[in-house]
Amino acid sequence: MGREVSESCIDSLLTEMVSSYCNRFYANKPELAARRIEAIGYQVGHQLSERYTMERPRFSDHLEAIKFICKDFWSELFKKQIDNLKTNHRGTFVLQDNRFRWLARMSLDPTAEEGVPQDPAALAESKAAQAMSMYLYFPCGIIRGALSNLGIPCAVSADISNLPACSFVVRIKA
Amino acid sequence: MIVCVAVVGHQNNPLYIQSFTEADDALKLHHIVHCSLDVVDERVNNPKKSGPTLNETFLGLLYPTENYKVYGYLTNTKVKFILVTTDLDVRDVDVRNFFRRFHAAYVDAVSNPFHVPGKKITSRTFAERVSNIVKSFGLSSTG
Repeated sequence: MGREVSESCIDSLLTEMVSSYCNRFYANKPELAARRIEAIGYQVGHQLSERYTMERPRFSDHLEAIKFICKDFWSELFKKQIDNLKTNHRGTFVLQDNRFRWLARMSLDPTAEEGVPQDPAALAESKAAQAMSMYLYFPCGIIRGALSNLGIPCAVSADISNLPACSFVVRIKA
Repeated sequence: MIVCVAVVGHQNNPLYIQSFTEADDALKLHHIVHCSLDVVDERVNNPKKSGPTLNETFLGLLYPTENYKVYGYLTNTKVKFILVTTDLDVRDVDVRNFFRRFHAAYVDAVSNPFHVPGKKITSRTFAERVSNIVKSFGLSSTG
């Protein structure tokens, strides 16, 4: 494929992107920051899907496109495939990555919260979870952009209820 | 000799159309490209006729007109490439080769962060690459 990019550069870029949008551009407006980050991911996914589907024949149905995302697309981005794919056969797919690369080096430290009197564990955990969820808008956007370019409009959300595994829920719009 | 190449988006919107001959009316070539879009749609939506090559990107000869041959190529992202040529003896492998290089140039043009998806491709680099590919079309054939 030609040129390569340093992985630590990607990690730093993503960290800085989330930090800029959350703390500087849209400080105190996390929904707007999330939308912007997801839109950036959408454009990236759009362009990447164009490049990675170049050599292959066309997909005959939605399932083949999703399998492409799980195998080839994920391998190009994260050097591994999706570990588990589930579907309800009614347009919802759950892509589970047991060790999502971009979250792998993040530590959740709930004990860092100070001076919180009631229910400190739950409060700290939800704040940390919210902070971490900001980092998931970008990969959700990438998946949404790639699938949209393949002709499958959808909504993508992420679920980090059991780290380090990360699940992406794809809901295809009818 | 190639007279015209075109890139058409998934909503049949023209993204890039370039003719390489001063002789023919540009409008006529645009019209030929436009008609060929119907043939592409018919090929793709008609599985019985296409048979085993249903999911291939290269669609082959779409239809011959009085002076031209029109070839089509449909990518996974539903973008169509149309090639209009006046050559009488065009080798299949040359056309496939052409589309492969054209696809690579298109992917590079679309990866440009300043390119807006759905709008026309305005990159000069893309135009130069395309004219290079067009110039070397068929030249490598040994006859």
